[in-house]
Amino acid sequence: MSSSDAAPTLPEVRLRDLRPAVSPVEVVARIVTADRREVTRRSDGSRRPLVSGLLSDGTATVRFTWWDPPREGLDRGAVLRAVGAEVREFRGRSELVFTWKTRIGPASGAELPAVDGDDVPQRPVRDLRAGDEGFRLEVRVVRVASRSVSVGEERRVVYDGLLADRSGPIAFSAWSDFRLGVGEAVRLAGGYVRTFRGRPQLVLDERTVVTRIDGAELPDPAELLRSPPRSIAEVEDEGGGVALAVEGIVVGLLPPSGLVYRCPTCGRSVTSGICRVHGQVEGQPDLRARLVLDDGTGAVTVNVARAETERLWGITLEEARARLRDLPDPSLLEEQLFESVFGRRLRVRGSGTKDDFGVTVFPESVERVDLDLDATADDLTARLGPGA
Amino acid sequence: MSLREPAWRVTARELEASLEEEKGTGDRATTYLLSPFGARMSRVLLSGTLSPAEPIGRDENQPFWRSRLADPTGSIAVTAGSFQPRAMAQLRAVTTPGPALVVGKTHLYRGRDGVAYVSVRAEAVRAVAEADERSILAEIARQTLDRLDLVERVERGPTVSDEELRRDGVPAGWVRAARASLARYPQVDRPAFRRELAGVIRAVAGGAAAPPSAVPPQVRVTRSPPPPPPPAPPTVAERAEESLFLDLLDEVADGSVDGYADWKELVERTSARGLVAERAEAVLNRLEEEGVVEEPIVGKLRRS
Ligand SMILES: [Zn+2]
Repeated sequence: MSSSDAAPTLPEVRLRDLRPAVSPVEVVARIVTADRREVTRRSDGSRRPLVSGLLSDGTATVRFTWWDPPREGLDRGAVLRAVGAEVREFRGRSELVFTWKTRIGPASGAELPAVDGDDVPQRPVRDLRAGDEGFRLEVRVVRVASRSVSVGEERRVVYDGLLADRSGPIAFSAWSDFRLGVGEAVRLAGGYVRTFRGRPQLVLDERTVVTRIDGAELPDPAELLRSPPRSIAEVEDEGGGVALAVEGIVVGLLPPSGLVYRCPTCGRSVTSGICRVHGQVEGQPDLRARLVLDDGTGAVTVNVARAETERLWGITLEEARARLRDLPDPSLLEEQLFESVFGRRLRVRGSGTKDDFGVTVFPESVERVDLDLDATADDLTARLGPGA
Repeated sequence: MSLREPAWRVTARELEASLEEEKGTGDRATTYLLSPFGARMSRVLLSGTLSPAEPIGRDENQPFWRSRLADPTGSIAVTAGSFQPRAMAQLRAVTTPGPALVVGKTHLYRGRDGVAYVSVRAEAVRAVAEADERSILAEIARQTLDRLDLVERVERGPTVSDEELRRDGVPAGWVRAARASLARYPQVDRPAFRRELAGVIRAVAGGAAAPPSAVPPQVRVTRSPPPPPPPAPPTVAERAEESLFLDLLDEVADGSVDGYADWKELVERTSARGLVAERAEAVLNRLEEEGVVEEPIVGKLRRS
């Protein structure tokens, strides 16, 4: 901020410290949500654009209202510096209002206030909800992998993985390289939680402070990834989760399964050559299976991608396409897939999300399980008791 | 929100002993078959020896097939009609008695004499290797024992709270089923039923598996009365309604993101074509009964 002009220097405040008595102010914050709409003026009936949503700087999340906003550049995750923002109070909470007098420009995440782990309360992973921030965690790195994504024109590396404490695991996504290694115990301050595929995901950005700790009481990562399967009823109750394991029997196959065609741009399946988003496209062939896995307490849909579908079915995408040329009815191909999976006992690990149709699991692994029948028979006989 | 009904792992004997029904809550709720042994089921998973299917019914245009699935405890009728083409084809593909798995919907028919008769409308049928049959029988035996333990625990201590059972990892659906079994079948000899599972466990171990399947189903001694006569074929008017209903269902399902037809949207369309909500519901009930249409989620329909 330049202070060479005549305007008095405004105080730069953290969102946690906003008070209507100190207004206007200067803030640096990240857009958590932003909804654009138009409001009709009562005076002349004209329409005036407005963006409202939530801003966060790691110390608090507050609502903001921006009258006559620019047409672009209000994406979630963007960091803004606002000079001359008004502070209002609504139902006992402070809010920010950006008016024509407010000067707003882009800022970098590094300009956000540093969050000191001692300032914020420690939370168990299990209690984290989307929108949370201003907390610290003590967790074990269970899994981490990097991938490259394009953000606008540039390529960036993102680190995805899984963190856990004794209360449970949470998926994370880091936009900076914290050199997190599997098995490390760390203390994190300055992250925030968003919703990804219907589940909470921890986002670690430039201002997140990572400290190595001893963490003797934290769970062993291998133990977490080998965790025994849980009942599907329980997974349904909890609305899915990460690092899930379920085991059951395939009792159904939901459409679309088998040979599908996908939009080359967005990957959605196309019907009659039409993508819902991109219109007429040249569909790319792919294999998938939407299995209904049932363990007697509940059922989940397992969205199996090409490689695992090929393994379960025992034929490749090319073989499936060759078969299709010989079949009078393409639905027979789906029948053949169903025939090959129906009644199989599978153990599936991955993440699960819940919607109105129940829980869908996106598997990281799908293994076939064969019972040791003699040992099982012995166990069952023991349970039946004497005299049976 | 209503989740897909789980497939209860049951023996033929448990189905034969199930004579009570319970209607779920909400509009257009599922009807559950209650067993004395802690199952509250609309869908089941069975394993045993499946006999070749026989055609029943007089209407050649609407074939209906029935076979029997025998496990070491008893046998149960498994049916499929032309409206469940997949299940019917699978049922008809069984030409010699052999090990098979069946997933299907339970159906209770109460004859004029008041005798109840349970059958299973197949959703999927598959002939399997003997090891697969044994593996499913193992699961049936294990879960049946789990349910019996639960029913007995609740019987011994009726004051045990649902929360306490849930903390022990018992699914809510099982707790509900156990309480319903005790309330509806106060006089059943559960220890005798438990002893009958010995035959299933012997089959799991690979010994004297299924009962003699060479015996034709007609003379097999079971506690079940003969199956009901097939219902009278629908009238021409009913057929026309069904056909309109199915056309519109396909139309709505084709236009939906998830492949299911939304019930409310469907009724709007049928009403616009003269099939009012009440009639549409009657048609739906008939088609569901016949297994043509299924509703895995309340309010979401699709062809079976
Ligand atoms: Zn597309």
